[in-house]
Amino acid sequence: MNDFTPVLLIAGKDIRQELRSRAITVATLFFAAITLVILAFAVGSDEAILTQIAPGALWVALAFAGVISAAQSYAAEGEENAFEQLLLYPIPRASIYLGKLISNWVYMGFLALILLPTTAVLFDLPLGSHRGALLLTLALGTLGFALIATFYAALTANLRARDSLLPVLMFPVVVPILLAAVRATTSLMQFGNLEMASDWIQLLAGFDLAYLVVCTAIFRFVVDE
Amino acid sequence: MNESPPAVQLDGLARRYGRDMVLSEVSLTIREGRIVVLQGPNGAGKTTLLKVLATRLRPSRGSARVFGFDTVREAHEVRSRTAMLPVFGGSYPTLTGAENLELATRLYGLRLTPSELEAALANVGLAGAAQKQVRGYSSGMKKRLGLARLRMAPAKLWLLDEPYAALDEEGKAYVDALLDEARSTGKTVLLASHEPERVAPLADAVLEVSGGTVRRSERFGVPATPVQAVPVRGG
Repeated sequence: MNDFTPVLLIAGKDIRQELRSRAITVATLFFAAITLVILAFAVGSDEAILTQIAPGALWVALAFAGVISAAQSYAAEGEENAFEQLLLYPIPRASIYLGKLISNWVYMGFLALILLPTTAVLFDLPLGSHRGALLLTLALGTLGFALIATFYAALTANLRARDSLLPVLMFPVVVPILLAAVRATTSLMQFGNLEMASDWIQLLAGFDLAYLVVCTAIFRFVVDE
Repeated sequence: MNESPPAVQLDGLARRYGRDMVLSEVSLTIREGRIVVLQGPNGAGKTTLLKVLATRLRPSRGSARVFGFDTVREAHEVRSRTAMLPVFGGSYPTLTGAENLELATRLYGLRLTPSELEAALANVGLAGAAQKQVRGYSSGMKKRLGLARLRMAPAKLWLLDEPYAALDEEGKAYVDALLDEARSTGKTVLLASHEPERVAPLADAVLEVSGGTVRRSERFGVPATPVQAVPVRGG
């Protein structure tokens, strides 16, 4: 068996489950949309302020929804004790992490693609001319978030206080990703400045690579005794 | 001549949960191809012992080896040679029985055709339910799905935790058939059961797990050959 086969099998299994149950999609879409609407209404009709906070609002909505998504993906594993069974197969622990990472990234990417135009409309901020770079920012930002969320959701999956512990543990770690993502998005959408954005995008890519290496390497300590 | 390592070898194995010592100083050797039953009251440590051998729990003291591989340091080698049937669960409710079985076999590195998957499910009485989502299964049907998964695993050691639980008579007969199959194919089986009377005739030995130790049961008249060394220190 190719080393990447279990990764794809686990990701495919998660995505297939979600397509059937829509548990994550419904919860995250509703939550993220409500967050954006409340923020937009709270700010009022001042266009200058609206456009200023739009990138931050987008990433706040994505971050909160991302926590729900990651926690839910492990909740589905626990429903029939399936995660215990998953850990008994002769596959590397890293495959399990990478499989769940891919599925969480897909959810978050899908959510980002819906929330981006929603934010543009609600906050009256055009997407700008650097749409490729904007999509890259979303891809790298959601990947970074999914890397950390997938790791910490596994860490807290068996704890009684998992719902409150997950955000408490992961948000301090995910702050650099969110800051870089917000800065890159602001540079592109508000100022249309690709050069300024590229610094933040490179930083995002660096964070992603570092988190990918570290989380993949130490995941086995999280799921094994 | 080199002798192959025993299927299971426990040396002074102890396992605690917090302050509770569930298993203490268990030493045991089971040769390949044997069927051994663990019996004992709830909380005696039967499931703990199976989970140690399946690599899900680390020994607190001592060591456990499966076909010569240490369950902690060589866990991947152990997992390649073992398959465990849990008391319940192990499947994904929103996937069908066939999809669950396909996922399991692919993760074991096998690739079965749809007709082979259907046949494997029919073999445990799930022919009509192969395309139904597992969330619609009864407890017994989920257990049967677990039996199908176990049977397809390319494992030399089967660890069965309460295999008869939740099953009707027909389902229990599938377990009996599975044990016959294990016997004829030379697999080693370690099974925990509250129905030792049923399984004793199929087994080579019945071991009593109690008070953190494991000893040969005197209650069942089964051949007294396979378990070479049984236990019995600590407590």
